[in-house]
Amino acid sequence: MAARGFLSLASATEAALIVAAQARDQAAFGELVKRRQGWARALLRRMCSNHAEADDLAQEAFIKAWERLTDLETPAAFPGWFRRVAVTTFLMAKRKQKAIFEEIDDASPIADEGSTPEAAAGAKIDLEKALAKLSDAERLCVTLNHGEGLSHSEIVDITGLPLGTVKSHVQRGTEKLRRLLEPAT
Amino acid sequence: MNDFDALLKRSFAEAPEPADDGFSVNVGRVVAHRVQAAKARNAAYSVGMAAAGAAICYGAYALASVYGQEIAATAGLELARVHGALSSTPSVGGVAQGMLQSFGAGLTQMLLVFGALAGGAVAYRSAQE
Repeated sequence: MAARGFLSLASATEAALIVAAQARDQAAFGELVKRRQGWARALLRRMCSNHAEADDLAQEAFIKAWERLTDLETPAAFPGWFRRVAVTTFLMAKRKQKAIFEEIDDASPIADEGSTPEAAAGAKIDLEKALAKLSDAERLCVTLNHGEGLSHSEIVDITGLPLGTVKSHVQRGTEKLRRLLEPAT
Repeated sequence: MNDFDALLKRSFAEAPEPADDGFSVNVGRVVAHRVQAAKARNAAYSVGMAAAGAAICYGAYALASVYGQEIAATAGLELARVHGALSSTPSVGGVAQGMLQSFGAGLTQMLLVFGALAGGAVAYRSAQE
């Protein structure tokens, strides 16, 4: 595909790029990375709350995707498939760091963020900063639920966490975000 | 969905996405390095397999040059013995011919007996009538 020139690569559909990348075309995969990097890095930045670590994990996820791209059955399934690769990469990294997700009973208590100076002043804290105040598990579940639009059962499927735990993490995480993001009344 | 959930979804959707070419260049570089490493590994594997094949062929050649004549002589002798054994046994065609002749003679006798019985039966029936 590289021989077809930069213009044709840039104008190719994502499906065509995926099919070419499955045939081990590095240029097509490079274009795919260029198009999908924003989404992938944003997803991992929300999950990690650390930009450098998130970018490292995004790079690792793309490399895993390159190695396993032949497992992808249809190009249309790429976003969901890649999301799973990214989440698995994130979970493996956290397990390596011994950051075992705490059970809901041990979850960090909901701090009274309403009493922080920003909230007290009615300032709107941005989403990224608010997410950084959640636990890893809460951030993961909230990001997948509200950011990626996945249902609780889809989050269970992708993370391997029990359904009750996912529901609790989403509920607690959302409640914390509400306190952080909603203007103080 | 309440107002806050909608606000949250909108905040996620509107959050800026990082966009710089450095990231994709880095990924491309790592992928190219992996591909090169895989090619080098495959080449090393092919060279290793070729060397192993050559070593086996050389070993077989060395064995053949030492024991080849003896093996060939023994094989030739065994072949000759087998051929002799086969040629001394009665031929299959002859056996089959004999069997057919016996069967033919037996069939004639059977026909004679059957004819006699049938004739007797006809004579008995005529006598009865």
